[in-house]
Amino acid sequence: MRLRLKGGRVLDPANGENGVATGSARDIEILDGRIVAPTDQRADAEYDVGGDVVMAGGIDLHSHIAGGKMNLARLLMQEDRRAYPEMPGNFCGCGGGRAVPTAHATGCRYAELGYTTVFEPAMVGSNARGAHLEMADIPNLDTGAYLVLGNDDFFQRLLAAGAGQEQVNAYVGWMIEATQAFAIKIVNPGGINAFKFNARKMDLDEANPHYGTTPRKVLTTLIRAVTELGLPHPIHLHGCNLGVPGNDETTLATIAAAEGRRLHLTHLQFHSYGTEGDKRFSSSAARIAELVNANPNISVDVGQVMFGQTVTASADYMSQYRNRGIASPKKSIGMDIELDAACGVVPFEYRDKSFVNALQWAIGLELFLLVEDPWRIFLTTDHPNGGPFTTYPHLIRLLMDRDFRNAQLATLNKAAQAHTMLSQITREYSLEEIAILTRAAPARILGLKDKGHLGAGAVADIAVHTEDADREAMFSKARFVFKNGRLIVKDGVVVELAQGTTHVARPAFDRGIETEMDRWFDAAVGLKAKHFRVADGELRNGAGPTILKCEGVAP
Amino acid sequence: MAEASTQTIHDVVCGFCGLGCDDLTVEVEGRAVRVRGEACPEAVRLFTRLDVDDRPVSVAGDPASLDEAIEAARRILSEARAPLIGGLGTDMAGAGALVDLAVRFGGVLDHYASDGLFRNYAAAQRTGWLAATLAEVRNRCDVLLVVGEDPSAIWGRLFERFFPADPLFAGKPRKVVFLGGAPGEKAKVQLGGADVSHIATSDPVAVLEALGGFTAGRVPPGTSFGGVAVEALAALADKLRTAHYAVVTWNAATLDDGDLVAERATALVDTLNVTTRAGVFPLGGRDNLIGVNQLMLWRLGYPLRTAVRGQQSVHDGALYATQAALGDADVLVWVSAFRPEPPPEFAGKLIALAHPETVFEREPDVLIPVGTPGVDHAGTVFRMDSIVSLPLGALRVATLPSVAEAVRRIAEG
Repeated sequence: MRLRLKGGRVLDPANGENGVATGSARDIEILDGRIVAPTDQRADAEYDVGGDVVMAGGIDLHSHIAGGKMNLARLLMQEDRRAYPEMPGNFCGCGGGRAVPTAHATGCRYAELGYTTVFEPAMVGSNARGAHLEMADIPNLDTGAYLVLGNDDFFQRLLAAGAGQEQVNAYVGWMIEATQAFAIKIVNPGGINAFKFNARKMDLDEANPHYGTTPRKVLTTLIRAVTELGLPHPIHLHGCNLGVPGNDETTLATIAAAEGRRLHLTHLQFHSYGTEGDKRFSSSAARIAELVNANPNISVDVGQVMFGQTVTASADYMSQYRNRGIASPKKSIGMDIELDAACGVVPFEYRDKSFVNALQWAIGLELFLLVEDPWRIFLTTDHPNGGPFTTYPHLIRLLMDRDFRNAQLATLNKAAQAHTMLSQITREYSLEEIAILTRAAPARILGLKDKGHLGAGAVADIAVHTEDADREAMFSKARFVFKNGRLIVKDGVVVELAQGTTHVARPAFDRGIETEMDRWFDAAVGLKAKHFRVADGELRNGAGPTILKCEGVAP
Repeated sequence: MAEASTQTIHDVVCGFCGLGCDDLTVEVEGRAVRVRGEACPEAVRLFTRLDVDDRPVSVAGDPASLDEAIEAARRILSEARAPLIGGLGTDMAGAGALVDLAVRFGGVLDHYASDGLFRNYAAAQRTGWLAATLAEVRNRCDVLLVVGEDPSAIWGRLFERFFPADPLFAGKPRKVVFLGGAPGEKAKVQLGGADVSHIATSDPVAVLEALGGFTAGRVPPGTSFGGVAVEALAALADKLRTAHYAVVTWNAATLDDGDLVAERATALVDTLNVTTRAGVFPLGGRDNLIGVNQLMLWRLGYPLRTAVRGQQSVHDGALYATQAALGDADVLVWVSAFRPEPPPEFAGKLIALAHPETVFEREPDVLIPVGTPGVDHAGTVFRMDSIVSLPLGALRVATLPSVAEAVRRIAEG
């Protein structure tokens, strides 16, 4: 099957091509789902894109789309589902919702925005099978999941016992394989575990009440593990003290703790709070962005806050429990999970007239605009925690259009306006930078060599957007989206459902750990290790995973 | 010869009651299946298979081919005004196929054992709750409050799973308080190492409410609540307050005021967590109830008791409960692959995708006997805590279709 997209302005930063800047248009050719060098052979179908912007399909490296916490959120927030019923059309008979859309709606709404790959950033090992079942029901998207580690009692015991790095590496490798994960996520390193022993907060160098381990030790040990296992994506870290005023110090200390090794700080907005001002809540975005700029080993995603009703869902039960008093509506779910991790689900409404919420909004935008290297910062709302992913077009306009941004700022809580430097920041993102943030850079940091670009050999995941000075309008509906070379969106409407794949990483590890894992699961967990393991055939309705070999990257 | 062909399979996963035991030993001889060694009576009963011919497929009581039955089922559903897809005793693949069936033909979806679940949701959806999973209870729980009747009758190995010999964190002796019925012999044996006590009451709601007050430091007016003296309640409150990790468990399905018990237990655990750690562990989950409900949530955004019509779904926990929905239904699709659960009384058309040993009061309009997940074919089920799911294996060569296979063929045409 040969397809041709004719006359598009190709925006492909990974390959240094910017047809928008040069004004030159060219064809893109697809053969059997992959991009090939242009030929003059007859195509089975041709699409005249008439100068529209052609980019690789969007990649979201941090969006909560599957796993038990999302179902708890759906259960808790039936209001969200009722307020957003199924959209009309042949392909949307299965669900709705906005903050926690159904699997089907997640696949459809992301595809309409031009996204084709999304990673679930917090899969709990004991819930991995369920998360994979749920991901298999998301159409039109390739997925993958980061395994939450660091708060599990097996790991804490290893640390407390002074186990060697080799043994830790074997355990991490075994867990990645057993749960069909793609990367390692640490959530509140050690804090979730400490909460089970009734600790209510956890600083970087605070000792776990039972094990005596510190978050710093958890972090540095797991950074070494993923480096030595050759995992392409660095540790994906949700740091200590999420949402706590003054957590900027923790974040700065955490960057230093990486000691030059690669580290990804997720939803940095929630970790950039100072204590200045009469409300004891201030922006530390400038301080933190400065350190990010100075440390090329650090990458971040923002977790931008967007106003309106959402649901926060996190493995960070310690923080979520702390926040449950400000739930809106006033209800929440928490759960300690399987000597493994935990979760907390707290509905929340971000209000533009609230000082704190408005400043959170501004802090996120400050980070976006002050972190200089677009290859090290990623566009996220930490869906649904900072806001639903469907707000991305609005966020893109905020980044690209200073006048619009300042006009929005002028409508917010007055005190918050006085506490942000946002209005003085003149930077406006270019289309190329947006393409880097949402395509080229995530592919690179995830180690996906055949995604995020439009060179020969790439997977034919392609988004075509008609240029519009109103960037929100431009990015709200893709004109065409191709998934593996199949047209799935036309004029902003889903026209076909494609089954995606699930990316997993397969590091080599010392299989001597297996006996120990068998023993642990038998004695402590009360479940056989072999039943904990998720088989390849359990993914994607039997299709199995797409396996990424772990060859390592420069530290 | 017979002995030579007997195969012993270890570490078999049991998908029946929702507790998710995965250490059973099963013998398979031809088509016969039997449990060996330690297992609860429910597992022994439901795993046991004799080497007998399959029950025939039938249409209107007459033997028919599978193709004829599929065709007849499709015809009935095509003409249906208001189908109820009930029972839903099936694995995840079967549940997915049944949601597709509802999307195609319309229909209300409910599981036969969902009463307890929705009593719990009365609390969970209104205020939320703080919960624990099985491995957390096993290793952390030092004070367990069991509300209602001794659950060992339904979950034969519950206390064995809750209280292993060497928990990681809970000190000994672990304390167990039965609030309601007395512990039976089985529970006493399994709780041999624990400090077990019993507080009799026929009104656990009143007791839990008062207990919540005591735990929060309030002394409710009165000398007894639910027949329990305030001194005993104060002592119990003290036990819970000084626990490192208290757990409250109940089976809402067998409690008259299951919704109120869930609500009061949730409130109690909320109060406890202000100063110590605690969680609820609601019991339930037979025949993959939890898994089907999970799938409903991610597929439709609603739990069970949801109607799908004209590409839209609507949830109503009362209107679309099986008994209420039967009043409006003209077709019942009854699905029970785990056990011979008979369909409820119903005057309309009946399509049964049923365990071969099901006894029907009247012949279904279409009967397709189906294999059992974990016996005849592989599958996935969720444990009662809604987090852990388990792979079921096949113990023998399947001669009956799975629910997923049969339903997909009905929906295909």
